[in-house]
Amino acid sequence: MDRDLLRQSLLYHGESLFNTLKCEQTENPDFQAVLPDLCKVTSERGEEQGSPLVEQFIARKADILFSPAWKTATLQREEHDEEEEEAAEPYAIMPPLEIFMEVSYQERRSVMYRDLERGDVVVGRINNIREYGFFLTLLCMAGGLKRDIEDLDLSALCHVKEIPSTGSHDDPLSYYQIGDFIRAGVKDIDRYQEKITVSLLQSCLSPGLDHIKLGVLTKEELPIHYSRGTRASNDSSQTYERILRTCHGYHNPCVVDYLLEKVQISDIHPPSMMRGLQSKLFKEEDFASSIRKKQSASWALKCVRAGVDHFKHGRHVEAMNEYNKALEIDTNNVEALVARGALYANKGSLLKAITNFEQALESCPDHRNAKKYLCQTLVERGKQLEEQEKLVTAEGLYRRALSLDDSNPEAQDALHKITDTIQKSIRLREEALAKEQTKPKGGQTSADKLRKILKEEKRMKKKRKRSTSSLSSSSESSRNSSASSSSSSSRRKSKKKKKKHRRSERRSKRRSRISSRDSRRSEEGKNEKDGRREKEEDEEEEVEWYPAPPNTSATFLNQKGGPGFRVDEEVEAKESDERRICHLYSLSAASDNGDSDSSRRERKRRAKTRKSSQSRSPEKESRLSRSKERRDKNRQRGKEESRRNSDSKRRSSLDENRKRKVSCSSADSEFSRKSGFQSEYPGNGSSASKHLEKRERHESSKRNSFDDGRYKTEDADREKESSKRRVEEEGSRSAGRIRKTSQNSAGNGDGPGESAKKELPPHLLNIFNQIAQFEKEKGAGPKK
Amino acid sequence: MEAPSSRLPASPGAPLKLAARRDSSAGEADSDSTREIKRHFRVCRFIMETGVKLGMRSVPVATACVLYHRFFKRVNLAAYEPYLVAMSCLYLAGKVEEQHIRTRDIINVSHRYFNSGSAPLECDKEFWDLRDSVVQCELVILRQLNFQVSFEHPHKYLLHYLLSVKSLVNRHAWYRTPVAETSWALLRDFYHGAMCIHHTAQHIAIAMVYLAINSYGVELPDGEKQWWQVLCDDVTKADIDAVISDLLQLYDMEAKCI
Repeated sequence: MDRDLLRQSLLYHGESLFNTLKCEQTENPDFQAVLPDLCKVTSERGEEQGSPLVEQFIARKADILFSPAWKTATLQREEHDEEEEEAAEPYAIMPPLEIFMEVSYQERRSVMYRDLERGDVVVGRINNIREYGFFLTLLCMAGGLKRDIEDLDLSALCHVKEIPSTGSHDDPLSYYQIGDFIRAGVKDIDRYQEKITVSLLQSCLSPGLDHIKLGVLTKEELPIHYSRGTRASNDSSQTYERILRTCHGYHNPCVVDYLLEKVQISDIHPPSMMRGLQSKLFKEEDFASSIRKKQSASWALKCVRAGVDHFKHGRHVEAMNEYNKALEIDTNNVEALVARGALYANKGSLLKAITNFEQALESCPDHRNAKKYLCQTLVERGKQLEEQEKLVTAEGLYRRALSLDDSNPEAQDALHKITDTIQKSIRLREEALAKEQTKPKGGQTSADKLRKILKEEKRMKKKRKRSTSSLSSSSESSRNSSASSSSSSSRRKSKKKKKKHRRSERRSKRRSRISSRDSRRSEEGKNEKDGRREKEEDEEEEVEWYPAPPNTSATFLNQKGGPGFRVDEEVEAKESDERRICHLYSLSAASDNGDSDSSRRERKRRAKTRKSSQSRSPEKESRLSRSKERRDKNRQRGKEESRRNSDSKRRSSLDENRKRKVSCSSADSEFSRKSGFQSEYPGNGSSASKHLEKRERHESSKRNSFDDGRYKTEDADREKESSKRRVEEEGSRSAGRIRKTSQNSAGNGDGPGESAKKELPPHLLNIFNQIAQFEKEKGAGPKK
Repeated sequence: MEAPSSRLPASPGAPLKLAARRDSSAGEADSDSTREIKRHFRVCRFIMETGVKLGMRSVPVATACVLYHRFFKRVNLAAYEPYLVAMSCLYLAGKVEEQHIRTRDIINVSHRYFNSGSAPLECDKEFWDLRDSVVQCELVILRQLNFQVSFEHPHKYLLHYLLSVKSLVNRHAWYRTPVAETSWALLRDFYHGAMCIHHTAQHIAIAMVYLAINSYGVELPDGEKQWWQVLCDDVTKADIDAVISDLLQLYDMEAKCI
């Protein structure tokens, strides 16, 4: 209990209140504690009788009234901006009450001297100027108290030291004249001798008032309450009530709120004398906002549940509607955000999904599912970016995923790989730059190349002889005549081929090297390698080759290859939904850099196809049929495999891609640099071809994700399958010329493929020839 | 305007019935009038509490109470469910005083008031029925009051008076004494009773300041007129005493009712 306050009250009310208090507050330990102090005070003023009802009220509510917690206002040198308040008048600024109450001169004067304080602002008129300063007759108060002091004859001295000098040349007093209105701060009050000194220096003002400018005022600048006060004192009809009603501030609709703030009363936790309305009795969970929050959460959760149910039944649109409804009800509902994010991720909108998960984690940083999903989606998104060659961004995403869940193996793997890749690609770039500088002149090499080609050709002839002889001998020894016929036909064909071959080889010998090298590499995993070929390939490896000049057949080739890929892509797309999503991504963001890889890989793939078909072609019929059987089986298995692995493949494809790219570029780094960035890109201007290639690259990378030979063959089979279809499509669609040639070649050679074409021209025509031939061979196999 | 003979078409709902039971169990021995006064007191307490929980300011709550008292001045207490009327008054007062309160919040808070600790209502038929009742009851109130729903409140008088009186007092003495808080609390409490519609706003405001100053024994300078005399042209000591005695009765009532 506030002892001073209680004493003040007891002084006012006297003995009777004390007695009632003692009755009413007997059980209050606080009151008992202060009781001894109060006994002394009470007896002094017993004669004034108040209303017993009021006294009873005070006595009963004493614990509230005199509780220290009851008082919320604190003594602050309040005053909002006084001048601003006067201009806008957010509440009625009233003249001092004394004017209406007609308080006696003597009392007002003594109270004024009692209450005036250092730092208050007064307004006065200069009545006398001396060399040591000027004297003011105080008119009114301008900050702090609002009192009626005009007729109190209060005089105040402003010393010359307290006048700020405006220049060095003049006497500061010369600026002031008798009759000027001056606003000044109270510097000192001598209450016994009733002397007031004021100052014009801003520093003399109390902290809350120091924005008030001191100095000379015009008549219009005098405080409003003063002017209203003089009007009221001159006109007796101007009562307090009337003035109040004419004030703008009185009609301000927000006046109550403004004044409540001014007197420091909280209207959110309003005070009350009623015991049942004490603010401590209000529980936070009973407030409207918290109930609404809880309710919204529960309503939203209901929607989320419905949405999840829809989702489980595959009704994704309905699910999305429910989630959106939930979020409308409860903007930051964590469950709804997570569920919607999962749906987005499922639909492939990874960015939206990430945003949703992030929002969820913002309001609930420990949500397990949100964390898990976000981590997964980040990795997924990282892979997408990797596919677009945005390695650094992707790396950032992996790091973020790891920061969410540092034990996530996928993110760890991906991060490892990508850092490797980044380092390698940096190194490769440097190497490429270095090589480019030391690149030998083209003229000197062309002779070399020619020589090598001739050498190769010779060797090839020899080889062909050998292979046909061996073939025929083997067929004679163990197989029936059909095999020999096929072998002979193949010989015929191969002769024809050779001529063409030479021509085309000249056109793109560089390409032939690459493809043969690639084909060698693709062969490596196979068990059917024979030493002879190996040797030949070793020789080939020694062959030097050079970066493609810009705008060569390479670009040309790619464009032609376009329609073929599409078929492939469609076949692939059927195989798995998820890959289609992948494809969509690549559609939306085909990056330029990807072309080099894809086109190269495409060529490589074809070479491989060719190889695999060739490798089998010279074999005996029975083996053919056997291999066909196996192939069919393998194809099935491969498809299953691919379906089963589609998920993991999609994930690993990029890594594989990466690996492959690295291995490729380490072997033919110059090519990759050159052709990738210079020659091929300009050729593939259209985004369609770009994304097709992307698709292709993806496909090929998938194929390469199998490391052992068995898978390789499977792949090759599948590849054959798809290429077969492609040829069909191709023939009907665009490349009529190609078709003709392929038909021709097929018509000429109706036996199995020839070893003659092993190293072969990379040109598309030949590829198609090969494919067509292979088909023939396949078709011929079971018949015989 | 004639009072509808029947109750509201929409059912007030389970929570309201529960509250009614709580009321009727209080005092059977009382006469009709005192029972009615007590009932109104409890409903007003409900308005006050709900107002605080809804974050309503003092003036809208005061408007809600005046709406309630004026409504039941015109109609029989038995004809309407008072708590439903109170909810609608809160809703209407929010509109009148430009502090719009959503019916959903009013229903939620009321539901929890009657079923303390209960889970929030589901978004089902019960909820929508309650909402319809509140909105329809609001229309009934409007028609009963002839659409005269804006009132002059003592609040702004009180605050202006406080500022004027403050200047009469030594500032340290003023800040030591919680006259502003007390008078504001008294004014809010005064709306528990129907008397708030019988006194003029200025008289109420002066009486509140008077009682607060009196309670703390704050000394004001004496002039030819008393401070309270100049604040309002027609106020007399009797007016002030009447308001004060009405208010003090309410505090006695609290002890009896709750």
